[in-house]
Amino acid sequence: MKKLILLVVLLVSTTLYINAQDSEVILKGKEMFGDMSARQIGPALMSGRISDLEGHPTNNRIIYAGTAGGGVWKSTNGGASFNSIFDDHIQSIGVVKVDPHDPDNTIWVGTGETWTRNSVSIGDGVYKSTDGGSNWKKMPLKGSERVSNIIIHPENKDVVYVGELGALWGDSEDRGVFKTTDGGQSWEKIFYIDQKTGCADLVVDPNNPDILYASMWEFRRTAWSFNSGGTKSGLFKSTNGGKTWSKIHNGYPSGKLGRIAVAVAPSDSNILYSVIETEKEETNGLYRSDDAGASWKKLNGDFGLVVRPFYFSRIVVDPKNPDVLVKGGLFGSISRDGGKTFKNPGRMHADIHDILFDINDSDRMYFATDGGVYRTWDGGNTLDIVSNLPVSQFYHISIDNAEPYNIYGGLQDNGSWYGPSNSPGGIEARDWNSVGYGDGFRVLKHKTKPIIYSEMQGAENVWRYDMKLNQNKTIQPLPIKGDPKLRFNWNAPISLSETHPDRIYIGSQFVHMSEDMGDTWVKISKDLTTNDKSKQNQADSGGLSKDNSGAENHCTIFTINESPIDDKVIWVGTDDGNVQVTKNGGKKWTNITKNIQGLPQNTWCYHIEASVHNAGTAYAVFDGHTKNDKNPYVFKTTDFGKSWSSIMTDEVKGFTRSLQEDFENPDLLFLGTETGLYITINGGKSWSQFTNNMPATAVHHIEMHAGTNDIVMGTHGRGIIILDDVSPLRNLTPDVLAEDLHFFKSDPYTMVEESGFGGGSSELQFVGPNRNRNARIIYYLKKRHIFGKMKMEIQDMDGNFVSELAPGKSKGINVVTWNYLTKTPKMAKGKTFTFGGFTSPRAPAGKYKVVLTKGKKTYETDLEIKYDENSVITAAERKKHQEVTRKLFDMSEDLAYQVYEMDEMLAVAEKESADNSGVKKIADKLINQLNALKSRSVITTGDNYVGAAEPELREKLATLYAKVAGGFEPPSAAELENMSLLEGTFNDGKKTLEKIKSGPWNKFSKAINTSGEELAKWKSKAEFLKA
Amino acid sequence: MKFLKSTCILFLLLVISFTGNAQTADEILDGYYEAIGGRDAWSKVEGFKYTAKVNQQGMEIPVEMVQMKGGKTYTKISFQGLNIMQGVFDGETLWNTNFQTMKAEKATTEQIENHKLENNDFPDALLNYKENKYDLELVGKETFDGTEAFKLKLTKEPMMVDGQKVEDVVYYYFETESFAMIGSETDITEGPMKGSISQTKLSDYQEVDGLMIPFSMNDGIKDGPSQPIVIEKVEVNPTLDETLLAFPSEAVPTAKPANGEPGKGGDKQ
Repeated sequence: MKKLILLVVLLVSTTLYINAQDSEVILKGKEMFGDMSARQIGPALMSGRISDLEGHPTNNRIIYAGTAGGGVWKSTNGGASFNSIFDDHIQSIGVVKVDPHDPDNTIWVGTGETWTRNSVSIGDGVYKSTDGGSNWKKMPLKGSERVSNIIIHPENKDVVYVGELGALWGDSEDRGVFKTTDGGQSWEKIFYIDQKTGCADLVVDPNNPDILYASMWEFRRTAWSFNSGGTKSGLFKSTNGGKTWSKIHNGYPSGKLGRIAVAVAPSDSNILYSVIETEKEETNGLYRSDDAGASWKKLNGDFGLVVRPFYFSRIVVDPKNPDVLVKGGLFGSISRDGGKTFKNPGRMHADIHDILFDINDSDRMYFATDGGVYRTWDGGNTLDIVSNLPVSQFYHISIDNAEPYNIYGGLQDNGSWYGPSNSPGGIEARDWNSVGYGDGFRVLKHKTKPIIYSEMQGAENVWRYDMKLNQNKTIQPLPIKGDPKLRFNWNAPISLSETHPDRIYIGSQFVHMSEDMGDTWVKISKDLTTNDKSKQNQADSGGLSKDNSGAENHCTIFTINESPIDDKVIWVGTDDGNVQVTKNGGKKWTNITKNIQGLPQNTWCYHIEASVHNAGTAYAVFDGHTKNDKNPYVFKTTDFGKSWSSIMTDEVKGFTRSLQEDFENPDLLFLGTETGLYITINGGKSWSQFTNNMPATAVHHIEMHAGTNDIVMGTHGRGIIILDDVSPLRNLTPDVLAEDLHFFKSDPYTMVEESGFGGGSSELQFVGPNRNRNARIIYYLKKRHIFGKMKMEIQDMDGNFVSELAPGKSKGINVVTWNYLTKTPKMAKGKTFTFGGFTSPRAPAGKYKVVLTKGKKTYETDLEIKYDENSVITAAERKKHQEVTRKLFDMSEDLAYQVYEMDEMLAVAEKESADNSGVKKIADKLINQLNALKSRSVITTGDNYVGAAEPELREKLATLYAKVAGGFEPPSAAELENMSLLEGTFNDGKKTLEKIKSGPWNKFSKAINTSGEELAKWKSKAEFLKA
Repeated sequence: MKFLKSTCILFLLLVISFTGNAQTADEILDGYYEAIGGRDAWSKVEGFKYTAKVNQQGMEIPVEMVQMKGGKTYTKISFQGLNIMQGVFDGETLWNTNFQTMKAEKATTEQIENHKLENNDFPDALLNYKENKYDLELVGKETFDGTEAFKLKLTKEPMMVDGQKVEDVVYYYFETESFAMIGSETDITEGPMKGSISQTKLSDYQEVDGLMIPFSMNDGIKDGPSQPIVIEKVEVNPTLDETLLAFPSEAVPTAKPANGEPGKGGDKQ
């Protein structure tokens, strides 16, 4: 026993010792970021790639959309609008499946898109929700990269099959067909071919769940090529729940096969459709079986059926009619004669990946495209886009210095755009402007001129767009005498100079520089890549179906960054793993790749962040996923690349794509990975994922806005996401973290003088929230406030009350906003509201105290607010504005008190009139006079809408008050004249009330006050206003 | 001294074993009720009256909320001295004052029936969840409001929304240290915000008649806008003015028209 106690003592003391040593407060994630929250601004007008659609077996209001990079979205209104339900998990989705046994609650999600284009993201396994998508549990199924299908046994909810396509970029054993018989707790691999061949499609016979069909696909992608097909590909059938599988190729051509799409007609299990990719063009196409796969007959080889099998292998059969089927494709194909002939559906975004039929009406269909979800009500003739799916996939973004600043960027298959970070009424679809076609990538605004540069894939076109003239010219560098073929990446780098506005850089294998906005180009480098010829045979890429779109162009420059401090220093990273730097504007380049210890060879350099603090400092971000390496790689140099150190820790998950340095604190860095945003406050010693309203989406590029300290992210699946004003993170030092409460100092806040119109969107259209322009009181709380009172007040510097605010109580950083408003006037009580009385005067510019009381402790900080520097209003005019506002405010409150006095007198008089016949006559006279005055002072009849009575003095005063107080300009002559009129009425009323008091009221008082008892005692004005 | 030392060790041992153990949903609830005054005290409560205020654009709006055992409830909001009744329920009828006409209007039959399902949820839906045959499940630990919290899922009787049966689920968050409830979440099942999550944050617990009651509530959309409600006073077991609950045939506020000035303020055509 003694020993045990000793052991415990030792244990306890060791723990205490460790704690004492490690007294520095280390905060992670939500604990650090508190209620700092990201702002998702879309856009949704062009939406993004949808990979899978799923319905509900009995409720056609419920629809799920799995997206390529934006997670899972759920509609509860028949596809009119969608909500995100999978924010916390990896956002690339292969399949969504509703459990038919518990369709309201149990949903399965297989992550990892299976439309394996070059820019496809990755998944990390299978998830299950048992509450309709509110919470998700990851299944213990060994991490597959992409899931092609999930089949829930129609008779036993615990039996589930998963088709795993698996890794795209390398060998893997995590492929094939898996089965659970205990609802997902344990899994067995029941069908596997080899490390190169995955399950591309898995379907079940709805009428006999022991029968399964699996299409197996041999495929591989590298950064420079794609291969679809091999001897291992095939279509297999199991008739015993997956125990054994046999090939069903009777009627297929011999030789290698590529990707196979397969479907069983739900209304007739014997009818199967498959679309196959073969060695010969003439044997590619749609095959039909009428004997459950025993034999196949080719029906059709139309372009729509055979185009790009890796991207479009999905067949969906009408649940009611076995002869109606739809195939995904460039434009999609619909057959109504059992597959003999096809036509395209109506106009919608190209590249259709999935189709969903309504359970009750097959004329109603949903299409998953590269540009969102489309709906049709007439069998696919006319289509309408879902307007609230902000799953746009940015490859890259940039920002400008306008107020509010704009964001520029290019999207997967959705062109190039720019739009504002703020807009009256929110950031709507109409705020976004198209500035390029095709796949869009880098879009950059000229520093001083109304010029935008944008590009489409492989620099096929680089546009110089004149915003003023609405004209564009293509300016991509062209080969000149002696040039080899210029190799541009699919996502070719374009960058600008901080110091030379007309300068522009574009990278092929060379760095091209222009000093005249792209009219004249000079190559300022040799070939900076490895120029590995074995990686340059893109014409042969694709495998069985040639696919030379330019997406696999390799040995190209991927990032070019001129130092913001020294324009002679230029950093270049290439897709084949080179990092090169010049210190003399391109005269001499040094390959510094070999100096990076710990970086596998030929790892794609995705971004180089040239430091704003030091010309020799840079961060190089590498992405190895195209070599099947999903580790994060970020290195820092402070000596022009002579030496590098890794700043990665195992806290960072997912491969890395982008980094942004803070402009003030060199230890504050923002890192974009394939699974979200990470932040370090100590130069990379430790990293925290930022998850407050920030989904785990791929962050392809990050910019920081110097004026607002905003972090702006271009995500590949959730559009633009902004983290407003990150300056508090600059000051999160260990000392601050040790305090119970710490106020962060802030620059003065500007009361922006804008009052425009906006808000033209329907409720089904996505509208991005605006930046909050209020003053922000930011503080750190060591512990969440739970017990005792916590209160926050704004006071003037003399301690007078100005406004009460609701303090945040989160552990970590809290952001409380003040809209610069003081309190509203107390209005006279009438029959209805006077809406003008809901206006509060704005506080004048100046310094204020923020007083926070928490339990018995009080914490204080100062806050300064200032007028809009862009304002044309003079100091004298502001003074006038404040004086008149105050005068109208005071008159309204004076009137409120008068009406209160009238009501008090009326109450006594009415009682006496009813109870005391002796004074009835005097009382009634008093009542008449009081009511007459009251009815001129305030509305006493009607309602708040079209039953409203004519306005009386209260309403007229309030209207004028709100008009003046709510505006910025000094009161106009018309307003002053109106005030003078109302003041006259006000004074008359005041006099009349005095007369009533000294006359009828006095008489009445004397008449009833015979016993000397106190007649009527009402609140003083001060008491009345306080109540 | 020896006694002190061994007591200290015992205490540490207890702490270690206590924090080391996985909690069950019921243990968390036990901890919660222990922290807020005990199950017994809460079981005896007949009703609450909250005097609160809401601040909107500088306008302070007084709010009075009454909740009684059995389901009777009302919320009274005052604008410019006029009272507006919201969510008034006398056990049979649920009604609200229309802001335009200032007259009472009934909620839909469906809403009334759903409201009746909450009659047995006083003082909250957790205290008697077993008697009410609700399901309670520990979902796990999550960070809520920057703080590590136990997440509990309560499934109540299903509701009807637009003619369809909908599960009625509430997620509760309890701070792991103090077991205080710091928030709750429910899915919004109807209206334009359908599909979003409604979130309430609780804090400022203070003692009233032996009960710990949160004096600060923050109601809103998860990751979206919210409205803080500051409670100034809580009355335990208030006297309920039943007349306030009856569905009135006419508007609540009345003012007599001025004598001798007929025709003032006629309705607009």
